[in-house]
Formats: sequence, structure tokens, C-alpha cells
Amino acid sequence: MKLYRKEGNILQILSFSNETVEKGDYLLVEDADAGKALIAQVIDVQFANVPGVLEELLRSLPDGGELIQGEDYDPLEIAPHITYIQDASLLICKIRATVENETLTPSSSWLPSRSQSTIRKLSVPMLLKLAKVDGKLPIVLGGTKDSSLLTIDASGLDGRLNIITGKKETGKSHLSKLLMLNLIGYKATVVVFDLNGEYISLGMTGDGKRNAHHDKVHVLTPSQNFKVSLKQLNLHVLLGILIHALHLPGTSAREFRRIWQSLKERDMLNLHELGEAIRNWQCNQHVRDALFSRYHALVNSGFFTDESGSMLLEECLFRAKENGGAIIVNLRNTSAIDRQLVVEYVLGKLVDLLTSWKLKVAFLFAEEAHLYLRETYWDDIVTRMRHFGIFTTFITNQPDTIKENIYRQADNIFLFNFTNEHDLDVVSRAARVDAETVRSIARDLPPHHCLTLGKVVRDFPMVVKVKALDVKTMGETRLFFKDAD
Amino acid sequence: MKIGETDTGMLIAVRGATVWKQQRHYRYMRLGPFIFHTTDENKRELYTALQTAYFNVAHEHAFTGMLNLMQMPMRIANLLERWLQAALTKTLTDSLVLFDGSLTAGTPDAPTQQMKQLLATARNRDNAVLAFSKMTNLRTNGYLITDALPPHKPPCMLETDGLKQRPPMMLLGEVYVARLTSGSCAFRLDIDREIPPSERVEAVERLLGNDLLSQSYPETLRLAHILCTFTANEVIAMQRFITRQHHVKIVNRPDMHRLLFGPFGRGDVNA
Repeated sequence: MKLYRKEGNILQILSFSNETVEKGDYLLVEDADAGKALIAQVIDVQFANVPGVLEELLRSLPDGGELIQGEDYDPLEIAPHITYIQDASLLICKIRATVENETLTPSSSWLPSRSQSTIRKLSVPMLLKLAKVDGKLPIVLGGTKDSSLLTIDASGLDGRLNIITGKKETGKSHLSKLLMLNLIGYKATVVVFDLNGEYISLGMTGDGKRNAHHDKVHVLTPSQNFKVSLKQLNLHVLLGILIHALHLPGTSAREFRRIWQSLKERDMLNLHELGEAIRNWQCNQHVRDALFSRYHALVNSGFFTDESGSMLLEECLFRAKENGGAIIVNLRNTSAIDRQLVVEYVLGKLVDLLTSWKLKVAFLFAEEAHLYLRETYWDDIVTRMRHFGIFTTFITNQPDTIKENIYRQADNIFLFNFTNEHDLDVVSRAARVDAETVRSIARDLPPHHCLTLGKVVRDFPMVVKVKALDVKTMGETRLFFKDAD
Repeated sequence: MKIGETDTGMLIAVRGATVWKQQRHYRYMRLGPFIFHTTDENKRELYTALQTAYFNVAHEHAFTGMLNLMQMPMRIANLLERWLQAALTKTLTDSLVLFDGSLTAGTPDAPTQQMKQLLATARNRDNAVLAFSKMTNLRTNGYLITDALPPHKPPCMLETDGLKQRPPMMLLGEVYVARLTSGSCAFRLDIDREIPPSERVEAVERLLGNDLLSQSYPETLRLAHILCTFTANEVIAMQRFITRQHHVKIVNRPDMHRLLFGPFGRGDVNA
């Protein structure tokens, strides 16, 4: 390999057919005299602009478009040299860092010698060592192209905002399960908004047996094993549900607050009494109607109960706090309104527990969050809730459903294949990545391969084949022709 | 062509190609590249060795005239071309054989005896040799013969008469000006003059019926040209071969024209 050109932080390197370099690979451009080296990542592989190639191709096709047949007597065997030159490729590389005295700096301001520099592939383990991507809480994401393992540190997810995105069926949920199980393994508390019931069997192996995580995975299905009584509710949580999920106007909310306080003073907080109180409350008829319609929505959701049952969510959270655990909020078969209602409740409860320091931290995994998260929560999650200790991972196959400011503040992005330009444009707005890398590498990622960007890899984008998990998969698409084979 | 310079001389590469049409498909045989290192010291030895090896020329009858080092690429290329032509005339029968250039003999590159023998061999095997020249110096009334064609509808040929021969050069072909397709191009066409006139015309008719012609030029010749021309990519490959095989370091000599006259200096004319 030979250094050909440097423009800004882009290096162009001439490579030959016996040097197998692909997109995503890292190269070390060493200038021994300067005592420095550049670390550059290949973001595109092009044909080198070798003079005369066009003529070479044209003259091989003059016979009406067919390849002209003939014999070459080439006693000196020059043909392999011609092929060697013709197949030369130009590697477009992005400079990621400079190494000097085994220390990395993000600088690309110096110019290595074109004639004296040596260029070689930098293996992932070596890069990880240089970048000091290690730690005490390793999470093995999977294998890299050079058959080494990509291991990140769980602390790279701590206090961070993460996004997992990619086309359908590329392995997003699989990666989120992997991250989640590893976090549980390190005694973290994880809450999952499981839209399609994909995570409910995380405690089972592929053949249906209990796995090591079985006791740490708690599945809460609203209206079934997950119900709350009014007594367990804080007023502001319920008001949050009424205002944000059920769109109760401000005037009516004020009346509701009075009704609630009145019932609470009389220790009569139950659904029946709430209904009766609304019916008999001295207020404007429109307000009463508004309150009644919301009351019926609450009752019909089946999520609220008068039974003074267990406080399942808190119990699960406290158990998870001790030994780590995942609370899977199964939103499958839940209507859009009820989904919002449950999510409002869970988030409200989490904030309550975190602000009162009953919980230290919760890792929140939200699949297709736009389907249940209200507008204002997005900003809340990335700014306010982070300070409470809610660290969110968004998982989506529609990157444009996540707002631009979320991308800008994302600390880690796990990017699977996208071919759509629009999708790539959206993701490339993330602050921790350059658009060329995203566009060039993500487009060619095979299924289950993920481009990892951000703090977990110290801003050295790396492609990894996400390792397999021995858990029962529930995210498979239901097929009509499945049994046809 | 010259592909590089050394301290003592130059590196030359030559390649030849023959193209034939068979069952409506063109096929080719390409020989080379052959690479030579020629110096003032070895140029005669090299040239004589090639002549004696490939043309049955006795060492004492080999070329004794002046050999200019700068002309060696052309001289060696002509040897290869002549050898290919001789090989063709010895192997083909009842065919049209197209040469690039003329049938003028008596030059260092086209010795009269050799050319006569070549044409005789072709005739004996019922081949007709037609030679197309892209450039000619032959003039009539002060005009190049290729510019003096009367306005006839192509295909047409104009027979020339009374062209002066300058000894020792001699014309072994009957010289025509041929415009074989519409368009502005006309070529000097030499046809073996030992062939009867009617057969010469018939040979051109066979050419018109059997080969594609574009701008009055036969496709077979065009392909042969294209196939043996070195592209820049091939020159780089040959330079690489030499550096690896013979551990020669290629050095870019400063271009004096560029050096002295900057953007007004012409480029390397040998490149």
C-alpha cells in the first residue's frame, strides 16, 4: 500500500490486489522519521485511476460488443503485471487519530511522508488496546472481520443515550437483548418497553429451558399480571396520564385534582368512588363530561383496579436493584391509548423512585418509542431524565421517528444495514459520527453486522457481527407460507 | 516504443498482432511484449542477431548501414512486423493478406530481396497482398495522391501511373488511391504488382465483401493496430516487470523543455 493523497482528514491510499482491504478496516500509516502514525479507517474502496485502463477495456470489446477471441504469446509474462496494475484500488480512508508515543490524539494536522511511510492493517485487538477500549465490565458484542472479538465496557452505556437502528430483520432486537442481558449480569436494573412481546422469553434458552437469567427477568403484562390500584398512584403520575396520554384539558385537570384530594382525605380512593365523585361533583357540565370520558378510559384499560394487590412494578424494581434484573413491560396486544397510559405510569413511577433515591439508576430500552412516547418526553429523556438516572436506548427501524436533537446527543449508535438514502441522512446527523462513514459503511453491512459508533468504541467506528444468544426468540415475523416447505 | 532510459541506453518494448476474420468473428494472435535494452555498444549486435535468427540472413549479409540509437524502437518493431508478415504469407492459402504500410522496398526496414521473397511466397499460395498506408509522401501535380481523388461515388480506386521511383527504393506494388466507403478518408493502397490487374480489382472486391470497413479502412487492420498499441497501463506494468525482474530503478529524468520553458515547454515527446 502506498500513500497517495491527503485532503483534510481524508487519506487516499493505493492498494493492490494481493492486499485485501475492505471497508471498515483500520490502517496504520507510520512515518518512522516523524515518530508518529496516523490511524485511518477505510470508508470506501474504489478503482485506482490507472492511465490507459479505459483503452484496455475498450479494445477487448470491439467485436460487436462481444469479447474478441484470440491468443496472446507473452514470453516474458507481462500480463500478470498488467492485471496487477489494472486491479489497483484506491482506498478512501478517514483519519481517526494520530499515535505518538503510544498515545492517541484526534489530530490529523500533520502530513506523513508519502515515499517513506509504511502502511499496514491495524487489527481490531491492537486498535482496542491503543484506544484503551477495555474495562472491568466487558460486554462481548461479537466477532470482527479479523476473527477477533469486539468487547466494549458496560460503563460505556452508563449515563449514556444509545440508539440501535437499522432496516427490518437486520438484528436490532438481538443486539438490544445482548446488551440488556449483559447489563443484568452486572446487576443493573433494566426496564424494557416491549412493543411486540419479543423480550418476554429472555429467561428461556432456545430449546425452552430456563437459563441463567430466568430469575432476573420479570415480565409485566398490563391488565393481566400488571395492574395498579388508585391508592398506589401518586396524583401527579395520574395527572400525567390524564393530561399527556388522555389529553385532559387544564381546567378539567384542576377539578380532578380537587376530586382526588377530597377522596384521599376521606380514604376513599378507588375506582367506584372516583366515578361517583365525578358524577356528583359540583362543576361545569363540560368539565364533568371530560372527566367522565377519561374515567371510563381508565376503567376500560383494565390497568387500574380496586384490588389492593401487590405493588408488582416496585417489587420487581427493588429485586432488580439488589441482584440486577429486567422488567419487561409487555405492550403486545395493548391498544395505542392503553400503551401510552402504561408508559406514562411506568416512567412516572421510575422518576418517583429515582428522585427519592429508592432506585439508583435504570437502563430503559424503548422499542419503536414513537408509538407510545409523547412528544415532550423525547427531550425529557435526553436531558432531564438522564439526571434522574434513566439511561435510554432507543431501538427503531424508522430512524426519522427519532428527532434530530436526540441523534445529536446520542453517545452511542449501533447502526445496522440501511440502503435508503433518507434513512442514512437522518442517522448521519449524529454528532459522534461523520456522514461519509455512515453512508459508505452502513449501506454495505450484511445482516447481523453492526457499525458501532460512539463512546463505547472511543469514537473508532467498528463493524461487528453480533454474537448469537441462546435465548428463545419471540420477535419472528408470523408467516403464512412458513409450513409450505 | 521506448519505455525508459538507462545510464547507457534505452529500454524498448515491441509487440505485434495479426487479426483474421473467421465465420463472422474476428480473432487475433498477439505476440509480445518483447523488451530489449539497447545501447550504443550493443545496438548493432542486437539488430544483426535478430536479423540472422529470424530472416535467415547470413551474418556477413546483415545490415551494415548506420544505426541510430534513437531509431532503434522503430527498427526493432519493423523487424517484428516483417517477421509476422513473412509468417502469414507462409501459412495462409487463398487469402487476402492485409499489411499496414506500403509495398515499397529498398529501405533498411524493407530490404528488396526480403520483400520480393515475401510477395512471391504469398503469390505461390494464392494469396493476394494488399497494403494500406495511412500516410504517404507520393504526390501528383504537387498534391498528395490521397487528396487528388476525383469525386466518384465510393467504393472507388484510382490507379496511379508514372510515379517516380527513387533508387534504391522500388515499388513492389501497384499503387492505388482507394476510397472504399463514403467519408473523406482515402488511403494509398499497394497491391502486389505481379498479380494480374483484374485479380487486383477482384481482391479489393473480396475485401469489400468480407471485411467491415469504416472510413475506408479495414476492420482487421484497425483491430491489429489497437491490439498492439501499448496503453499507459501496460507501460507501467512493463516498467514494474523490469524493476522487479532486473532490479532496475526507474528514474524520471528532468524534462529540459519543462524545466527551461515551464508551461511553454512541450511535453516528453517520447512518452
